[in-house]
Amino acid sequence: MSGKISQRPPRPPGRPRYKGKAPYLFLSPYIVLTAAFFAVPFINAIVLAFYETNGPRSRAFVGLDNFIFLFSDSTFRQALFNTTLFAFVSVFIQLPLSMALALLLNSGGDKVKGFFRLVFFSPNLVGQVLVGILFSVLFTPRYGLVNRVFQIVLHWGLEARWLSDPRLIMAAIVLTSLWLWVGFNMIYFLAALQTVDKTLQEAARIDGASPWQIFWHVTLPSMRHVVVFVVIMSVIGSYQLFELPLTLLSESYGFGANNAGLTLITYLNYMAFRSGDLGLGSAVGWVVAVIIFTISLIQIRLGRIAEED
Amino acid sequence: MRFVSNFPYGRAPFWLLVIALVSLGLRVVTSRRPEARPDLVFVTHTEAHFDAYRKAIPRFEREHGVKVQLQFANWASLQARLQNAILAGTEVPDLAEVFEGSLGFFTRGPMEDFGLLDLTDRLRADGLDKRLVQSRFTLWSARGRVFALPHDVHPVMLAYRRDLVEKLGIDVSKLDTWDKFVEVGRQVSRDVDGDGIIDRYMLDMRFDGNWSLQILMLQRGGQFFDQQGEVAFATEDTAQLIRWYIEQTRGPHRIGYECGWGQPVVKAMTDGLVLFQWAPDWRSWVFADEAPGLSGKMALMPLPAWSPGGRRTSAWGGTGLMIMKQTRHPDLAWELAKYLYFDTAELGGRFLATNILPALKDAWNLPEFETPFPYYSNQRVGQLYAALAPETPPVYSSPVDDAARIGLDRAFNRSAEYYVHNGEAGLLEKIRADLADAAEDVRRLAKREKILAKAKL
Amino acid sequence: MNILQILLVALFVAFVALRSLGRRQAASRFARWTLMGLGAVVVLAPFTWLLAAVFKDRSVLNEYIFLPPVGQWSEKTLNLNNFRQLFQGRPSVTGLVYFWEYVLNSTVYATCTTVLQIFFCSLGGYALAKYEFRGKTALTLFMLGSMMIPSVLLLAPLYKMVVDLGLVDSLAGLIIPGMVSTYGIFLFRQACLSVPNEMIDAARLDGCGEFGIYLRLVMPLVRPMAAAFCLICFLGNWNAFFAPNVFLHSQDKLTLPVVLNLYLGEFRHDQGVFLTGTALAMIPPAVLFFALQREFISGLTSGAVKG
Repeated sequence: MSGKISQRPPRPPGRPRYKGKAPYLFLSPYIVLTAAFFAVPFINAIVLAFYETNGPRSRAFVGLDNFIFLFSDSTFRQALFNTTLFAFVSVFIQLPLSMALALLLNSGGDKVKGFFRLVFFSPNLVGQVLVGILFSVLFTPRYGLVNRVFQIVLHWGLEARWLSDPRLIMAAIVLTSLWLWVGFNMIYFLAALQTVDKTLQEAARIDGASPWQIFWHVTLPSMRHVVVFVVIMSVIGSYQLFELPLTLLSESYGFGANNAGLTLITYLNYMAFRSGDLGLGSAVGWVVAVIIFTISLIQIRLGRIAEED
Repeated sequence: MRFVSNFPYGRAPFWLLVIALVSLGLRVVTSRRPEARPDLVFVTHTEAHFDAYRKAIPRFEREHGVKVQLQFANWASLQARLQNAILAGTEVPDLAEVFEGSLGFFTRGPMEDFGLLDLTDRLRADGLDKRLVQSRFTLWSARGRVFALPHDVHPVMLAYRRDLVEKLGIDVSKLDTWDKFVEVGRQVSRDVDGDGIIDRYMLDMRFDGNWSLQILMLQRGGQFFDQQGEVAFATEDTAQLIRWYIEQTRGPHRIGYECGWGQPVVKAMTDGLVLFQWAPDWRSWVFADEAPGLSGKMALMPLPAWSPGGRRTSAWGGTGLMIMKQTRHPDLAWELAKYLYFDTAELGGRFLATNILPALKDAWNLPEFETPFPYYSNQRVGQLYAALAPETPPVYSSPVDDAARIGLDRAFNRSAEYYVHNGEAGLLEKIRADLADAAEDVRRLAKREKILAKAKL
Repeated sequence: MNILQILLVALFVAFVALRSLGRRQAASRFARWTLMGLGAVVVLAPFTWLLAAVFKDRSVLNEYIFLPPVGQWSEKTLNLNNFRQLFQGRPSVTGLVYFWEYVLNSTVYATCTTVLQIFFCSLGGYALAKYEFRGKTALTLFMLGSMMIPSVLLLAPLYKMVVDLGLVDSLAGLIIPGMVSTYGIFLFRQACLSVPNEMIDAARLDGCGEFGIYLRLVMPLVRPMAAAFCLICFLGNWNAFFAPNVFLHSQDKLTLPVVLNLYLGEFRHDQGVFLTGTALAMIPPAVLFFALQREFISGLTSGAVKG
């Protein structure tokens, strides 16, 4: 039962020995399942992108027409614009808020930290769909919680048609996403803050640096890896935004008035699974994948350049 | 508990495993058996129909000795799920009622893919192709074959506050063209109580075009698609119509106001904010149901024509009955369809319950259609609609119907925006350009549909 | 000016006062607490509203922001009608469907997938961590690369595959393609790396089989990661929407997020019904999270924070 006893000279400690079939057996479920449900669909996705289909039934070869169609379709361009705008807002509004919250929580005792961490993270437990459903009701003109609170605090917004006025739809989506994800990213920043070298911070403070300078020149650079990771994750997540606008704008299948809430994945869902064209859906998927890939590469590059400074 | 704490993966995975096994067992035990299914399942999306059919079905069940299940489903979810289920081969109802404009959704791709039973030959065999209003078949046809049974003819009239109109000294029998209607409308639509806000309008007109624009376009002979399925709404005629419509809703002498839907419409009519309302047959019943206080004060008149002697009605909406190819009892389903739609014993009562004019011409001779309606000042509503039915314009269906409607709306709204900022100067050119753009977008989609129609499995 | 505005202004004034009095420490602590408190209120308010809405009668849903004043509590304003409506059977092609069936479907989907993933991912993660074998580098590279592909890309062809296999409209069709995740393998790999090799070698000398080492030695040592992964995986699958929405057709097979999204359109006139469903659907993830918070947080961040 002990397997082959190797005849090689004993390896230095810490290096495990070759074992017969064990690793292959252990990894075989992964390999089989991945081959079947990842590799095969991946190849199909390449093929399908050049076809037009009637659901999972008939298909017709259209060559590059899917991509030509996408880039001449004003609805797709709108989706691209909306999604990019959202990604931008995510990085430049949501993440600073998460960071600020993490800083606030960090300077407290453990119990306090734990409690507030739980509170701020709680929206994430319930998933985009349930949050979207809840907020679609909270944004009701005149009666919704959001409208009422805005009216009480800011004397504006009681009649604001968050979900039907094209100018407000993106704002509503952004607000909901802030509620949902600020706490999530805060967790990462909080964990990263724990690992920052406090002696460095002390030294800077003794040198007379202001709290903001300490943050910008000492704390943030030591959290570099996490920040880059969170930014990339945030952008990748933003480009796949789907369930939130779909449930907020359920009356128009996630499009919103004037397509103001349309995102790339909502467009994909509509084209592939409502109109039934799996080929066009694959083409949209490829566009999204390429965008995500490019942006991730750029960000990793920028991260490395910053590192070299 | 020793076992639990000795479970290699820990307590949480252990309890999850327990829950997984228990719930899996429960799910397997409680899953449904296909034999429990009734002989026929029929889904509808309108409450009024649901109530009417619920009363009619027991007799059919008795006469044929079968079990029919009637279901009510929300339209939005029904449409998408039904088509996906058809394409994937999963459980579908045997018959389904659907709204106009949705047939295209179910008739994409090659004809072998269609999930619907081709009814053309059955209609001919039963002589129904002659007994139903011809113009309604196009709505439910694709590639020259009929795939759904027309439920109705929906001729459009105008419902108006007879008491207020008479008080203003207007004789509606003289309003036989739109020019005359607008002229009177301009005198009527004004600020009555001197507070600077217009509080009486002639006609309910949607601000973004939508159905009220489409009703007028159809009346003029315009179409979204022609008989061959080509995009057909970017015409000079439609451009002129849009210009007229912008003038009536946004011009300095506008006569149109958007009342919304449901409660706000009732309020508008009760207050006299708007004198004339679009009233296809089904809506005439809705008014009576939602604004009972106006009984005796309302009346109906045919649409003013666009030119003297021209068409005095249009069409709005429509319901059709599809039978799925997958059904196990196609002949029985066909019998049920005919029974529900064309059994003359039922149709009289159905009319009184819904005001809807059935597509079966013979039915219009039933006594119920001559009943005076106190709500509409004792007019014989059935006769009025029946008289207009032969003139109802045909509507052609297409897989890109949705896109065409959205396209027209978008072109209209862009032109209206332009008017608000720039006035009449260059308006017609802008309208033509916007229409052409919208039509081009739809044509691009339609081209893809044509390619798909020749697809193979 | 109303109460809320006065309160906010008062807080600000107190802060400024403390600062100008030279009590900078106290001022910043005060500011910290105030901001965190306000943040907590903003985050918790929607949940509170939901909890109140569940019990409000349809007629007063929009009358009161949260609950009616105690004087107005009665059968007419607060009742369990929402629950009654929610639990009523709804007709479908295959008969009446009840709410508990959707809960059951979600439970089966989430727990079965999680349990299977724990097993397969821990096996794979251990293999990657503690073995050297031919093809390991290639495999690792492949896995890293595959994580960069967004799953939406694969959904359309996967759907066609599932239809062709006859697994569409069944929970099996959802669970089987989702039985293993690369992310999970990497998480377990991370955890298994910290198991001392000496222990493994000693167990081998004792005559323990490879699988025995994995099961009896290594797994108990990585229980925190297994617990974290439990929660991560369960949450992800309980709240999943896109794939279940596409793969499931029959009414009786739907999971909670899909059904609640449907109800959103069906119950526009009686919002309390789907809001109650939403509230109920939030309970299992909350319960699991309370039990496993600590492990969850450390598991989540172990992939990101390089010490």
